[in-house]
Amino acid sequence: MSDLNQNMIEKYRNSFLKEVEANVEEGEWVKMCMQCGVCSGSCPLGKHWAHPPQEIFMMIRAGQREAVLSSDAMWMCTSCYNCIVRCPRELPITHIMHGLAHYARRLGLAPKGQPTMAFAQIFWDNMMKAGRVNELKLGLSLYYKDGFVQGIKNSLANMKLGQNMIKAKRMNAVEFFGGHGVKDVSGLQKMIRKAQELEDARIAKYGK
Amino acid sequence: MSAEKKLVGYLCTGCGIGDRLDAKQLLSTAKREGKLQECKQHEMLCNAEGVKMIKDDITEGATHIMIAACSRRAKVEAFNFPEAAMTRANLREGVIWVRPATDENGETTQEMAEDYIRMACAELRTINKPSSSGEQSLNKNILVVGGGVTGMTASLEAAAAGYPVTLVEKSGALGGHAALLHKRVPHRAAAIGTTNSRTADLPQPVDNNVAELITRIESAGNISVQLNSTVAKTSGAPGRFSVEIATASGPTISADFGAIIQASGFKPYDAGQLGEFAYGASPDVVTNLELEQLAKEAGNGPIRRPSDGKEVQSVAFIQCAGQRSEREAHLPYCSGFCCTTSIKQAIYFKDQNPGCDATILFDDLRTPGAAGEDFYRAGQQKMVTFSKGKATEVVPGSSLLVRFQDLILNEATEITCDLVVLATGIVANSGPDPYAQLAFDEAAEGSSEKETLRKALEVAPPSILNLSYRQGTDLPHLRHGFTDSHFICFPYETRRTGIYAAGPVRRPMDIQQAMDDAAGAAMKAIQAVENAGLGRAAHPRSGDLSFPSFRKEGCTQCKRCTVECPFGAINEDDKGYPLYNEARCRRCGTCMGACPVRVISFENYSVESVNQQIKNCNIPDEFAEKPRVLVFACENDAYPALDQASMSGRELTPWARVIPVRCLGSINLSWITDSLNSGYDGVVLMGCRRDDDYQCHFVRGSAIAAERMSKVGDTLSSLNLEPERVALYEVAITDIERAPKLINDMADTIARIGQSPFKF
Amino acid sequence: MTEVVATNQTILVVGGGISGMTAALEAAETGKQVVLVEKRPYLGGRVSQLHKYFPKLCFPACGLEINQRRAKMNPNLTILTMAEVTGLSGEAGSYTATVKINPRYVNENCTACGECGKAVSAEFPNEFDYGLSKRKGAYLPNTMAHPMRYVIDPAMLGSDEAQKAKDACKYNAIDLDMQDEEISIPCGAVVWATGWKPYDAARIQPYGYDRFSNVITNVEFERMADPSGPTGGRIIRPSDGKEAKNVAFIQCAGSRDRNHLLHCSRICCMATLKQCHYVTDAYADATVSVYYIDIRAIDRFEDFYAKVKAKDNVSFIKSKVASVTQDKEANPVLHGVNTEGYHRYANTHDLVVLAVGMEPSVEAGSFPVPIVINREGFIEPASENGGVFAAGSASDALDVNRSVQHATGAALRAIQVVNRVAGTEG
Repeated sequence: MSDLNQNMIEKYRNSFLKEVEANVEEGEWVKMCMQCGVCSGSCPLGKHWAHPPQEIFMMIRAGQREAVLSSDAMWMCTSCYNCIVRCPRELPITHIMHGLAHYARRLGLAPKGQPTMAFAQIFWDNMMKAGRVNELKLGLSLYYKDGFVQGIKNSLANMKLGQNMIKAKRMNAVEFFGGHGVKDVSGLQKMIRKAQELEDARIAKYGK
Repeated sequence: MSAEKKLVGYLCTGCGIGDRLDAKQLLSTAKREGKLQECKQHEMLCNAEGVKMIKDDITEGATHIMIAACSRRAKVEAFNFPEAAMTRANLREGVIWVRPATDENGETTQEMAEDYIRMACAELRTINKPSSSGEQSLNKNILVVGGGVTGMTASLEAAAAGYPVTLVEKSGALGGHAALLHKRVPHRAAAIGTTNSRTADLPQPVDNNVAELITRIESAGNISVQLNSTVAKTSGAPGRFSVEIATASGPTISADFGAIIQASGFKPYDAGQLGEFAYGASPDVVTNLELEQLAKEAGNGPIRRPSDGKEVQSVAFIQCAGQRSEREAHLPYCSGFCCTTSIKQAIYFKDQNPGCDATILFDDLRTPGAAGEDFYRAGQQKMVTFSKGKATEVVPGSSLLVRFQDLILNEATEITCDLVVLATGIVANSGPDPYAQLAFDEAAEGSSEKETLRKALEVAPPSILNLSYRQGTDLPHLRHGFTDSHFICFPYETRRTGIYAAGPVRRPMDIQQAMDDAAGAAMKAIQAVENAGLGRAAHPRSGDLSFPSFRKEGCTQCKRCTVECPFGAINEDDKGYPLYNEARCRRCGTCMGACPVRVISFENYSVESVNQQIKNCNIPDEFAEKPRVLVFACENDAYPALDQASMSGRELTPWARVIPVRCLGSINLSWITDSLNSGYDGVVLMGCRRDDDYQCHFVRGSAIAAERMSKVGDTLSSLNLEPERVALYEVAITDIERAPKLINDMADTIARIGQSPFKF
Repeated sequence: MTEVVATNQTILVVGGGISGMTAALEAAETGKQVVLVEKRPYLGGRVSQLHKYFPKLCFPACGLEINQRRAKMNPNLTILTMAEVTGLSGEAGSYTATVKINPRYVNENCTACGECGKAVSAEFPNEFDYGLSKRKGAYLPNTMAHPMRYVIDPAMLGSDEAQKAKDACKYNAIDLDMQDEEISIPCGAVVWATGWKPYDAARIQPYGYDRFSNVITNVEFERMADPSGPTGGRIIRPSDGKEAKNVAFIQCAGSRDRNHLLHCSRICCMATLKQCHYVTDAYADATVSVYYIDIRAIDRFEDFYAKVKAKDNVSFIKSKVASVTQDKEANPVLHGVNTEGYHRYANTHDLVVLAVGMEPSVEAGSFPVPIVINREGFIEPASENGGVFAAGSASDALDVNRSVQHATGAALRAIQVVNRVAGTEG
């Protein structure tokens, strides 16, 4: 960690809050939280979180950068939007949670092996290949993510479901061999790479 | 006068009175025993025809009228005859509605009604229509003491209504503490149509407005300002206050005023008591008021810290510093303005020191109302960090270390910053508590109590008003040194008539509330002026023209009246005789109750007017086995409670005879002894709650009555009577079930212990 | 036809609650002609429906008695009940107000003897008890009502019941042919004191006010605590009438909330602290939980907060409750997080009281006069308002003391205008 970052994480200073404002989707809202806790209480998965949203917001304002960004809390969000609906201060909490998760991953601070993050990566990689998601491959990648043996077990367990989906024309086995994509895949890839470069440059000064 | 007296009675037979009672017998009682010249019967006395009949009689010479109908609280507008003296016999709520309509009860119900007629007639014979004393005088000039925002606002408001004002300020300039502010908290909430978002356009700190107020004062034309001046002496009463104003430069000015507004403001809490926060140990720990000075000095540039002039890059605010705390030398109350003030000051830093971090450590963030909550949001928009945390220590140094418990993150933590602002509170700038001096005077010489009181008096603040009143130099305190009085329904129900406190001397408040308060006090001041001009009482007996007078030849100069008057209305002359100040009097009759020789009376309420009621009630002999329970009920709470009990169908013992009194404080012990002597079996007194949360609208009346009654035991034992025969209760207006029950309980007690031995 | 004597030196007061009564009485007792217009059939407004006041735990009826006595005695004051201002034209110093008077069907002959009420059997929800009890179709709104006069419910009109009421009256007080009337009143200044209404709790969906009978509002709880209220003063559960000993208060129910009211309603913290007393006074073995964001016991109210906090059986949980569910025994279960250290809870209570906030009685856009209001619909003290001055909670969420303070000042502002008209302003 650089000296710069040492300075930035001084307690109860705005540096981390400003970092969040600059880099996290809807991060500008964090300062508006009044710590009522209705989001924390409304989350259906709340009991599985180490830090509920309202606490995360207080931690951000208290400058607890490391603890926030390495937390798996925001990865638990299922986008049910209960918190957004109830927040008395209109914070788009769901978006902020996803924004924080994304930011933590970009910085490489997200907890290793976090399953939600693993799935997101598989989804992203799958999508990047053809410009749209190949559902068959996505499913298989997910089954085999923990190794070949586990993959076979997962596939067998879900075989019936797969057959039914094929029957119902909800899935096409031919997709396994390439599948269709968007018209100009390389153009799309270039666009996204450029966007990533810009984002990387922006967050570079925040380091890890 | 008595030669021209014409007493006429009216019996209403409506609302079932005629069905339940023997009207003929009642008429005859009124005439024969009540000694009325005439008594008329009407089937609905309160209708236009009935009222016209009474009015015609008054035109034709009736001076005293007795109305036997419903409660004195009912049909007040119909039975409103200011030209005559009037009494009312309560036959509806007081008799027929509280007694079952059965044959076996017929006799006792009729007896009850006849007694009330006898009592109303007896009372009528002893009273006269009140007329003003001739003492009244109209003086429209208002004195305002204190030239801060409250005093200036009060002056402008009174002047705008056409009442000339003299504004006395002890310092050399107007403006008070508000003039020291860099900016003030906005009074307004977001404008209509403002969207709710994190970028919403919310009100920001605004100019302190003092210069504008001063300009308006200077150009008002009917406001005269006395700077470097204090009030050296105040005597008189509403409508004729005589005031000496001491000036620093010239001679004392004497002037007369109709009413006075005390806007003496506050003193900042002494932060020197806050050693744990390094106040005094580090120049970079400042109070909220001191920060205003730093912000002013900075103009709109960056605020610099006192120690080395460094631009402040981080600041922490400690809320409730020395407040909301039971610790020695701390203030137990919340000063009310500090949360919004800290938000405002944090915004100074955000606006003037780019990049500065500001953290507010609070317990409860108190930003009520529409404007308050919007201002909280405004602070958040500026990225002020609000942390629910309890500061425990500030460690001085080139960088200050604030140790605190973060209550949300549940950890002991700390923050380093360039400057710490202590959100300290206010102390009322009131004069000495008048009752502290009186308590000292009355305490036994050499007692430890006297010593404690002496010590308290030694540190008492100087007087603000220098009232030459029997009961001390200044407005009484209620709690924590604030000169408040009633503080819910009647915030201006002052204990010194015609003198109204406004602003933070009355109760902790912010500028906006102080300005509202100033307008309210100005309203009451001009009202006091107008009432004094007409000889009318101020709240709660608004408009009452009666006033107490005393027979000097009977007076023993015992001073009970001058000591007990809850409003300090009575002075003493050189010889120790009471000197009444009609316009200061609130007509509660506490003086009348206090007088051991019964020389104090009102034209329409006196020891005699009640005594006659007591005497004229029939006391059957012991063989009749019809006991009598005399009830004195406070007219504001207990009597309405009994009325409502009656309306909702609750029964009352037929032995009860209820006499409404202005206040329990007006009850003269002679009424108790005389009634027991003449064969009443029990006496029930019903007054208002009298503890710290007193509900007596004459403040001390009920408490004084209780003190007097504590001695009634001696009287009872000298008469060889059981102590249970006299009972004193605190009764609220909502005691609809309890009030009649207490009276019925007395009837049961008598059934148990037997009737009085004093019957004929 | 109702006759009202008024001139351009008359002060019109709109609203007969504590603020309007105060403004009207202070002005009238200073010698000004005042016309007071009240929508309800009686004076006192919302405070007449309160059991006790904070922080003295005294009774609003006590102050009301004094104010009503002042009103009855004052010849300068004209009171119009069941009346509403529908329009105002002109300018400061010379306004004309249009006032619509709804029929009471009972005239001034009424002695409040109660015979009509006895004769009628039709019952209606009692608005004085927020519908928690029933009243007759011929009724006295409450035992303190001023004017002390019965009212015939317009829903009875044309029925046998209405005729029964009329026949029962011996004093020709019931007039079933009474019509609406509209009158014009000249006035120099207007005090606007239309007050507040409780926020509609059913709109706070997660708290289930509309679904769970043991979730009630603070204004309803106030009626419940009143010995002359719907339960005779017993603190019980609406679902089964059992004693409610374990009571939860949810603060900021509808206040400080972008889904509801953005403002802080100021009174609800203190009202809850007061209502804590109702519960602990009723039951020695009571437990009370207050779920709050900030306890706003401002200025010397702190004393009162300290007193309640010191009670062993009252606890304070810093949490905005997320939702309320109901178990099989109809017990409300509160879900949320205690934010002081992150403790998740699912707490079962006998009864839940929602500390609903205040919103202005008159909705934005419904003012019959042009007036400047803020985002929350409260009247701003703007010079554009001319001779119209807000008093009390029409101007902000205010408690009784602040309302009276504000209304007293408003009376003065009105007097300044009429004194200018009279040329006596010096």
